[in-house]
Amino acid sequence: MSEQQPPPPDGQSVRLLVSWLLVAAMLGYGVVQTAITAAKLFTQ
Amino acid sequence: MSLLSALDHEHTVARPGYSRWLIPPAALAVHLCIGQAYATSVYKNSLIAHFDASQTAIGIIFSIAIVMLGLSAAVGGTWVEANGPRKAMFVSASFWATGFLVGALGIATGQLWLVYLGYGFLGGIGLGIGYISPVSTLIKWFPDRPGLATGLAIMGFGGGAMVASPLSRQLLELYDSGYDSGNASSVASGGALVGLFITLGLGYFVIMMFGVVNVRVPPPGWRPAGFDPAAVAAKPLVTTANVSASNAIRTRSFWLLWIVLFCNVTAGIGILEQASPMIQDFFRDGGTSTVTVAAAGGFVGLLSLFNMAGRFVWSSTSDLVGRKPIYMLYLGVGMVLYALLASVGHAATGLFVLLAGVILSFYGGGFATVPAYLRDLFGTFQVGAIHGRLLTAWSAAGIAGPLIINGFLDAQGKPGTLTAEAYRPALFTMVGVLAIGFVANLLIRPVSERFHEPAASTPLEGSATR
Repeated sequence: MSEQQPPPPDGQSVRLLVSWLLVAAMLGYGVVQTAITAAKLFTQ
Repeated sequence: MSLLSALDHEHTVARPGYSRWLIPPAALAVHLCIGQAYATSVYKNSLIAHFDASQTAIGIIFSIAIVMLGLSAAVGGTWVEANGPRKAMFVSASFWATGFLVGALGIATGQLWLVYLGYGFLGGIGLGIGYISPVSTLIKWFPDRPGLATGLAIMGFGGGAMVASPLSRQLLELYDSGYDSGNASSVASGGALVGLFITLGLGYFVIMMFGVVNVRVPPPGWRPAGFDPAAVAAKPLVTTANVSASNAIRTRSFWLLWIVLFCNVTAGIGILEQASPMIQDFFRDGGTSTVTVAAAGGFVGLLSLFNMAGRFVWSSTSDLVGRKPIYMLYLGVGMVLYALLASVGHAATGLFVLLAGVILSFYGGGFATVPAYLRDLFGTFQVGAIHGRLLTAWSAAGIAGPLIINGFLDAQGKPGTLTAEAYRPALFTMVGVLAIGFVANLLIRPVSERFHEPAASTPLEGSATR
């Protein structure tokens, strides 16, 4: 490998975006749902 | 190229320019799915009612899965190293999904043994292979930040339960209109359980395929731009040599680290397993707890958040401060926190939650940091296989932690009548357990050169720049 950064393979940006969106959606859903449940600790 | 040959290690090598930031979401896609294993309590009562079985008979499903996790990680680690992450993730997804489908068949036909075989045995193999499959690859892609990389992936295992718990409740309500997840005595029908298992099995298979498609191993000699291996090797305990999995288990450092992980997990599981009744018992006044069942459920949810956050935050921090110091924090500060929980934890709910939360963040941190600790001690050559063998400490702690807590509590009285005082012997025992782990961590030394692989027999690391 050279000192120059090779060009990224075709469609890599889309792949990065979709991959991180998928895990962010899953984690976000889990965190929000858990936070709603956890709020009961301080409201009940 | 056939589907099966596309899974081979040689077809998984990344082309020049492939972004290493595609690997963490690939690993997360697997870990977020297999993390469901910690959400089985959501439908436990429904399974008990459906099979007209005891708590123990249904609890065995989870126990088989965790035992198979440890065994398959230990036995399959070398296979994972030899065949690469893509084939390992595919095998994991197949076992995990098949486990759900066979489990659904068992529920539909009223045969509990099929649920043992499906979710417990087959699913457990999927758990073990899936847990270790991305670890070695992440460490090779992120030699500059191994703690961050493995912390991200293993955070997914903690996050998986947070996704699966509410999702399972909502799916059961969708498939059975008479089921109310807010009512503790409500149970879902067998048909709803079958629908849940089939939905989760198929859904998880699809999501895990994202990981299979995206995962790549770096080309031999690859290193990130600007990364100087000499700077990493200059840190204490970090080696540039490589140790095989069979040699690693002959070293004193491996078994000391096994004890460290065992002690850290044993102490954490003690709280995790007992969390909901524990907070109610700590704030019991005249026989009645001031903490409601719903609020106790909120406490369990909060602990999940601390557990997940600890995996990422503490493991990433270990890249800066070093692995041995961070375990001194987990175990040393953990001892202080356990002692405080036992002595003043009942003074205020906020204090109790804070102490338990930080303890659980150390529990998660211990899991997430250990692959990087192994990399430091044994190199990258077979770190996934060594990690698999180390996870037997998790299986052992899964038995020891609940045994310690439940053994002490059984001697103190019946559930529903216990107070904070009843927990003190168990909590102070955990302080002792953590002290053993603390000493074991202090005794860890660099691995002797006689265990190192000859330089020519291991892949070239860091010989090219990019």
